[in-house]
Amino acid sequence: MDSRIEAPTGWLSRRTLLAGSALLLAPAVLAACGVSPSPSATGAATGVARQGGTLRIARPPASKAETLDPASSLSAYEYLGALYNRLVKLSAKGEIVPDLAESWTLSKDAMTWTFVLRKGVTWHDGKPFTAQDVIFSIQHILDPATKSPQAGVLSPFVDGNSITAPDANTVVFALKSPNAEFASLLTGYNCYIIPSGSAATIGTSGVGTGPFKLKSFTAAGPGVILRNDNYFGDKPKLDSIEFSSIADTQARVNALLAGQVDLVAQTNLDFATAKTVSASSVATVSSVKNAQWYPVPMLNTSEQFKDADIRRAFAHAYNPDEVFKLAVQGNGTIAHNNPVPPTEAYHLDYGLGYDPDKSKALLKAKGFDHFDVPIYTSSYDPVLSPLALALQSSMKAANINLTVTNSPADSYFTDVWMKKPLMTTYWYTGRPIDQLLNQIFRTGSSYNETAYSNATFDQTLDAARATVDDGKRKTLYQDAQKILIDDGGSLTPFFSDRITGLSKKVVNYSEHGFEFDYINIGLLA
Amino acid sequence: MLTFFAKRMGWSVFTVLLATVLVFSAIQSLPGDAASQILGQNATPSAVATMRQQLGLDEPPVSRFFNWLGKALHGDFGNSLVGGGSVAAEVGSALVNTSLLAGITIVIGILLSLVLGLVAGLTRDRWPDISISTLALVGMSVPEFVVATVLVLLFSIYIPIFPAVVIAGQNASLADLLPSVWLPAGALICVLAAYIIRMMRTSVIDVMDSEFVRTAILKGNSTSRVVFKHLLPSAMLPTLNVIAMNIAWLIGGVVVVESIFNYPGIGTLMIRSVQTRDLPTILLITVMSALTYVVCNLLADFAAFLLNPRLRYPRSSK
Repeated sequence: MDSRIEAPTGWLSRRTLLAGSALLLAPAVLAACGVSPSPSATGAATGVARQGGTLRIARPPASKAETLDPASSLSAYEYLGALYNRLVKLSAKGEIVPDLAESWTLSKDAMTWTFVLRKGVTWHDGKPFTAQDVIFSIQHILDPATKSPQAGVLSPFVDGNSITAPDANTVVFALKSPNAEFASLLTGYNCYIIPSGSAATIGTSGVGTGPFKLKSFTAAGPGVILRNDNYFGDKPKLDSIEFSSIADTQARVNALLAGQVDLVAQTNLDFATAKTVSASSVATVSSVKNAQWYPVPMLNTSEQFKDADIRRAFAHAYNPDEVFKLAVQGNGTIAHNNPVPPTEAYHLDYGLGYDPDKSKALLKAKGFDHFDVPIYTSSYDPVLSPLALALQSSMKAANINLTVTNSPADSYFTDVWMKKPLMTTYWYTGRPIDQLLNQIFRTGSSYNETAYSNATFDQTLDAARATVDDGKRKTLYQDAQKILIDDGGSLTPFFSDRITGLSKKVVNYSEHGFEFDYINIGLLA
Repeated sequence: MLTFFAKRMGWSVFTVLLATVLVFSAIQSLPGDAASQILGQNATPSAVATMRQQLGLDEPPVSRFFNWLGKALHGDFGNSLVGGGSVAAEVGSALVNTSLLAGITIVIGILLSLVLGLVAGLTRDRWPDISISTLALVGMSVPEFVVATVLVLLFSIYIPIFPAVVIAGQNASLADLLPSVWLPAGALICVLAAYIIRMMRTSVIDVMDSEFVRTAILKGNSTSRVVFKHLLPSAMLPTLNVIAMNIAWLIGGVVVVESIFNYPGIGTLMIRSVQTRDLPTILLITVMSALTYVVCNLLADFAAFLLNPRLRYPRSSK
């Protein structure tokens, strides 16, 4: 129930892909800079939810190896936010707000972070929550045996022994290198806090501090959670939530239309299906603005795209209006090849626009009358193939011939992504700029899908991280964007809205980033 | 007759073995393996290597195949690479669910299509035949996912009599499945019946034209006696093979229909196992499907033997 797209073919969730990057969030300062609010759901009914009731959610099944251990790459994502809490979470405006931590302070050199924990919190099994649980949870993520995607994100800054608890309600992180945005790392969905010593059992017990407690759970199957009346925050409206696993996207939508479920999680409805759902008497759709980002990475290490001029020629070669209309029927925002969303506080209003003559001239200067290259796509997501076809037709005018090649969805992200010179892919927007730039474009980073490597760019990012002054940091992040757009290698035609299907009985459905509102969602009075 | 069956049995065993070899090789040639599929894209190469070792995927394929075969011959089909549970138990429970679906489909489907085929054959070129044949042609040409979708639209959404999908999952009880089994069965019957009706109609027409039926009619036998005593046994002969093939198809791969209805059977399990490259599960499903296929064919041959005197007394006896 986050705003990621599910894998239409089953368990190999895009979540796995996004997990490592899981959200360094926009720091609180961003909101203070007067940023427009992050996208949140529109179209869902709001109003008075009645107390009680059971919400039925259909989700795509993960594998049989699925677990409730939030640190795992195979965590049953939809349960996590209901069962557990993190130290900090992300508000709809992109601010970092308290969850289990009441407050936090950062040393002047950005090397030491101190979190003060909420008092009086109890686990679902009745035991009190303490600082030791926090230390255990982070150590569990960092433990190589856990194989947590978040380990690679946290380990450059923290190791298990550098976390201390001066008292039961205080946790201190002594970092290895300065990071003024460290708290944002802890909003990742692998960073939920679990009870001390529970590593072996958490995968099935699901004991957390969250608003719901586990009644039953089957890997890749059905499960039930019940309201936790001892929850420290506002209590949920619902009595319980029933989850069912339905692999096929069409089957999930059928279940919704037939009234067997109330909400389909992790399903981005294609526009035709969205129309069918909207026309139904029992269901409706809700749209999350600019929730997805559809880049076409050009592999910098490939023969075709090692030259920055060729990459620029591609960036100028397509008509964004045309591609935007063809691929997503205008649902979203044109990006002009800047991967940083316009809603991001540090967004730089700059991009490479449509200019086929310039494109042709750049190619000509490199000795090309025309340029032929395959573009890979798959049915993994409903937008990928229309995007490839739209680019193919739009780039013809610049003498660029794309051959659209369809690959099997179940191995697309293991065999095509980061391997083929040109392919379509997507990400969920809502990650803060520091994470976006460091994880997807920094030299050698795990999700560097363009294999981009530029020392100046990397140094600019390091400088930004070490800078506590907000204004200076903004300038540095904008410098980095300029370098990336001029020299990088990702075509970013647009940001696209995400469409979810839900029953008309559901009120106050809201989600943003990796946050789902389990407290206010309910059924119509 | 014994030699005939010994030969057929030999070929059957060979067919099953060949199927496992082919499927094993096919899975080997797919990109990625269970280790990389389980760990996902963000796995470090060392994590994948460790996982591969744990799962025994680092051994050469040929030795892995014979290793599997040796154990399989002793009834040990191993554990799932993904869930870790017994493959036999998992495939077994899926097979039970599919058998319920297949059983209902077969009983209703075959009875319905034999009757319709007979009526069509007996009323050749008149309105009952024309309407039945047209329907059968439509059933043959429309893919099962379209039939399934239309059925859901009609009977789950417009007139909500049946559930659109099974939401109870792999451990669904009979009580969970019973209300949900009718729509997938209906979709399967539409496709299955079309072929049997066509075959039955043709063979009824052929037999009606034959001399012995004409003789039986001229001898003054009642219509029902002609139909049941003379016509049906002969007309059933060629139809049996079509029925056998369709039953094998049903048990082996109702993949599309199961997927649309989220029906927790062998087809759904197969799709998921292929996606995760869970080889032991895929191989056992292959064995079961191939077995079903050869057993159905053997039974069809055997039934043909009983129905056809000419096969029972081959000319070689002269």
